[in-house]
Formats: sequence, C-alpha cells, structure tokens
Amino acid sequence: MTFRRILIANRGEIALRVIRTAREMGIQCVAVYSDLDRRALHTRMAQFALPLGGTAPAETYLDMDRILAAAHESGAEAIHPGYGFLSENAEFARRVAAAGLAWIGPPPGAIEVMGDKIASRRAMQAAGVPVVPGAVDPLADAGAAIGAAEEVGYPIALKAAAGGGGKGIRVVREPDEMAGAFRTASGEAKSAFGDGRLYLERYLERPRHVEVQVLFDAHGAGVHFGERECSIQRRHQKLIEECPSVIVDDALRARMGETALRAAAAVGYQSAGTVEFLWSQGEFFFLEMNTRLQVEHPVTEMVTGIDLVREQIRIAAGEPLGYGQDDVSFRGHAIEVRVNAEDPQNGFLPSIGTLHNLRAPGGPWVRLDTAMYRGMEVGPTYDPLLGKLIVWGADRDQALGRMRRALEELNVGGVRTSAPAALRVIQSEGFRSGDFDTHFLAGLDLAPPREWEPLIAAAAAVYRHRLARRRALAPDAGARRAWLERSRREVAEHVRRAGRPGSPGDTGDRA
Amino acid sequence: MKYFVTIGERTHEVRLVERLGELSIEVDGAPFELSYEEADRLGQVVLLHHGQSYGVSIEGGESEVGVTLAGNFYAATIEDERERAAHLAERAAARGGGVVRSVMPGIVVEVLVAPGDAVEEGQPLLILEAMKMQNEIVAPAAGRVAAVHIAAGQAVSGGERLVALEE
Repeated sequence: MTFRRILIANRGEIALRVIRTAREMGIQCVAVYSDLDRRALHTRMAQFALPLGGTAPAETYLDMDRILAAAHESGAEAIHPGYGFLSENAEFARRVAAAGLAWIGPPPGAIEVMGDKIASRRAMQAAGVPVVPGAVDPLADAGAAIGAAEEVGYPIALKAAAGGGGKGIRVVREPDEMAGAFRTASGEAKSAFGDGRLYLERYLERPRHVEVQVLFDAHGAGVHFGERECSIQRRHQKLIEECPSVIVDDALRARMGETALRAAAAVGYQSAGTVEFLWSQGEFFFLEMNTRLQVEHPVTEMVTGIDLVREQIRIAAGEPLGYGQDDVSFRGHAIEVRVNAEDPQNGFLPSIGTLHNLRAPGGPWVRLDTAMYRGMEVGPTYDPLLGKLIVWGADRDQALGRMRRALEELNVGGVRTSAPAALRVIQSEGFRSGDFDTHFLAGLDLAPPREWEPLIAAAAAVYRHRLARRRALAPDAGARRAWLERSRREVAEHVRRAGRPGSPGDTGDRA
Repeated sequence: MKYFVTIGERTHEVRLVERLGELSIEVDGAPFELSYEEADRLGQVVLLHHGQSYGVSIEGGESEVGVTLAGNFYAATIEDERERAAHLAERAAARGGGVVRSVMPGIVVEVLVAPGDAVEEGQPLLILEAMKMQNEIVAPAAGRVAAVHIAAGQAVSGGERLVALEE
C-alpha cells in the first residue's frame, strides 16, 4: 500500500527534494505556498498548488489550520513536513493523524521527548547513552547560571531547552560574560521557540560534530546508515558536511551506530532521524536527536545509495524496511556545501536581493538540490538556505577535487553567498588533512586570493565604464515618455494634414 | 578615464583610454592586456588576458561592484578622480564618533543604551533580529551616545541609522 497523493508542508529546496522522489514513485504532490512563493519552484513542480494566503511564517507554513484545510481540500492522504517549520511539532503530528491523514515522520511522543533538551538528556541517561557533563535543570537567571557553571567548570555552553538549529546557544568562558550571554540566548530562544528557558553544559574543547542517520519502520526494525561529519560550522550552524568522517573507522562506526539505534529505540522511534554526537579526544557524547529529515541527508544517500525520502514515505505507508544492518554498505565519499544567502566577509550576516544571474555546476557526480531560479527574490522572511551542492568521489581526495571544481563553476548573482567561504575551507590544508574541529571556520582567513586582484580591478573598471556609457545612452523614463508623446502628436498632425485616418499603406478606399 | 578600485585593503589605479572603440588599459601604471566580452546581459563575462580565459560574473552599480572568479568573490568599490577626492575629504572630516547603521534589515529586539551613556569599544548597543537570529550590534569605538534613532520592536532596513556616537 502506498499513497496516491501527498501534501508537502514546506517550501524551498526541501519541498522540491520531497516532490522529486514522490513523483518518481508515481505519487501526486500538493504544494502549499505563501504570497511570496507564488512563483517558487515548489509551487511549479507539484501537480497541485494551494495558496496559504499571507507572507509571515506564522500565517503560512506554520499555520496548522490552513495546512490541514489545504490537505483536506486537495484530497491528500499524507503530509510530509520537510525540515524546519512544523516538522518537529508534536501537536501538528497529532492533528495530522486525528484528521485521518498519515504523518510522514516520527511519532509525536518521540518528537516531544527529543525536542526537549532536558527530557531527552534524562531519557538518554536512562538508556545508557553517554551525555555531555552538565546541569540538566532549567536555569532561573544569570546568577543561577553562574552558580551551576562553577560546578560543571568553564567554559560552558548555554543552550535553549526547546532549541535546535544553533539558535539560543552561547558559549561563556568567564562569569563576567554570563549576564549578556544569558540575555541574548534567552531572548533568541523565546523568539525562535516561544520558550526562553536555558540550561548549561560543559563546553568540550576541540569538539567535532558527528551524527548518525537512523531509519526505523513501524514494526520495530531499525538500521543506521553511518555517520556524517558536520564540524565545519559558522554561528553554530553547519556549512559543510561529509560522509564518511575521517575520524570514524569501522569499529567506531559500529559503536556509534549501535548507540544511535539504542537512543532512537528508547523513544519508540519511527521514520528517518539523526542522532547527533559531539566527539572530543576519542570520546563521543549524545548532543541531541533531530526527529526529521535533515538538510545534509544527501551525503548519506550518495554513499549508501538509499533514498531517504522514499524510505520515509514507505515507512509512513506501513511497509516494513525489508533489509537489515548487514545489507547497508558504504561506497566512496560524499561532501555537501550549503549555499546560504549570507556574507562570509561580513560575519555571515544575511544578504538579500534578487537572483538576477545564476550559473549552476554540472558534470559527473554533482548534485545541486536547490529552489533557486533567476528572478527569485531573496528576502528576510525565510531561512537563508538557497541550496545544497553535493558531490561524490571514489575517495575523499577525489570528492575534494570535485567539490572545488563544482564551486568554481557556481555563480549566484544578486546576493552574497556562503559558497566562496566553503571554497576556502575545501582548499585549506587543515580541512584537507582532516585535522579540524567545530571552530575551524571561525579561525580561517576568508579573503579571496590576491593574485587575481589586478585582473579583477581591470574588469571592474571596464564594467563601470560600460555601465556609465549605457546609462548615458539610455533615455530615462521621463525622456522616453516625452519622446513617445511628441511622436504621437506628430503622427496625428501628419494624419490630419493628409486629410484621412489610417496608415500609410491604406489605399484610401474609405475616402 | 582614471578609476580607483579598492579590493579589501588595497586600492588599484586603473586607467582606461578609448580610441576608435578600442579600450587600452593600465593597472597600477603598467599596460594591462584584456579582452572583455559580455556573454549575456545578466553579468556573465568572458575575460581573456595573455591567452588565459576567465569566465567571471560581474554585478553591481557604478560604485560597488562584485566579481566572482572561479568561485571566489571579490567586492570592489570604484571611484573616479572626483569621487575619490570627495570621499577622502569626507573621511578626514568624520574621524571619531559617527553613526552606527544597520547592515541588514531586521527588527530591533532591545535597545541597551540611552542618549548620554558612555560606551566602550565592543559594548553592545542593541539587539537586532534578522532571519530568526539575534545579533548584538556593538560600538565600533569608545564614545558617548549622542542619539538613539530606533526603538524596541521597530523594523529597520539595511543601512538605516541606529545609534549616533560622539567622541
């Protein structure tokens, strides 16, 4: 049994990602869209598209009533939430089920436990999964945080109890920094999750972020698909991910995989999920579990040959996995670069504009998952992720060479993007050698190579020269209007003097 | 025509002379051979220099130009001689103090200073939320708050004045 029609409650590249697999499976897709996304690719590529009416996330992709109404109206049998928005909202998962629809995601109970950092820590400790040393209880204020930090030892990380995605996290190295960090982290958590509660834990030195992909069917069978290395981050958000990780050998992979399966099983998991670990000096600790499809899932797909979205849909339809751990194999190396609308040379702050110029990389073993199109407006309303560039190679060296080549081909005109920063990382000695941690990007010089500056300076000057000449020649709107009016008047006068209406080709039969 | 092209911290002098539709170019005083061919009207340009080919993309207005070459992004500011002289005079006049402007559109979450407050370099002035991230906007230098142009809850656009500082 599978679905005839599903609704994708998301936008951007992930909506497209889901639509593509669904179409391959012969399943019809229903897109929903905000006013800003009327021309978006997900709106165009689904067989059905329904407006949500509005622009802000709260009145569109986060509005459960409108999305459920769209599902009802369109006759969809299941809802895929993508990532972000309602994907980790247990209430929404429950309402989907209550409406008689299938939820292409994990059970609401698992979302709830894993979505609360404090509850998940307790559950993991009970299941024998190693966790980072720290205080699990929410902190009343900055003073309480200073007290708790004394026990755990500096440096500490302040984190949002309801958090995820790097929002509401601050590192504090001294008691002096606590008040400011507490205020901004709590404010950010409140605005992002509607819950300003914070907790703190030991901040690990030279940590690496290594996560394990798991998949569970509705009948209790679960397998893992190895790890993803996600240590290249800015502002606690991932920029580059790869599979496998250079620090994980077969024995460690088996150990981490088994731990991840235990963590997921402890909450009765189902569907695709990711167990995130922090690795530091040979030890690994549970960080959190993301109860959804992740942004970086393609690197796992490239190396294992599995289509995770297809598996999610099959599992939601009640099908058994049909394979076991021994059937999962790993081949070659995959790397992903996130193309975000942000300026690496200005602290990775968001960049907005109109994409007036696009050149997409192609060629062997290059995959570009994106919802970019020429003319697209990139505004401040939604997530800055524009797309993901993924490459596969027979080994890490080949994959690195291929990613460098693909990044050199990529052009995104109209906004600044994170791609040039990713190129710096790919070309750096530290990243190539495999010796890096989650602070690597912050310490990297992101300035472009100087050798081409004379060429760039000359080209920029010629560009300006041509632009100035074009502007001087092009009449402005007022001049154009005046010219048009004058010529219309002159034609009318000419016609009047000729004594008859009509064009020069008119033979005058009516005269 | 002489242009001053600043990339990062370095400024290059580019001289363009047009004769019978042909451009001859000098960069930092030396002749620079360049063929510049627009592949489309959207910014894709083919540069040829000493037999080497560079497919670049160029975007921007007259004074701020962005060039992407082999995945590298170069932000260049361009001034002609008149603009250069005016900007140098402006910079000389504006030493110390100044206006802190928003570098991105967002919403002011909290204002942390009031007119008259003394601030240290790096001290947070306000918290600005953009794309769901809260960012501390800090004082670029020590000084005194001369004026606060925004209030909590207010939406600001990129380049908008936030706080004025004086020495």
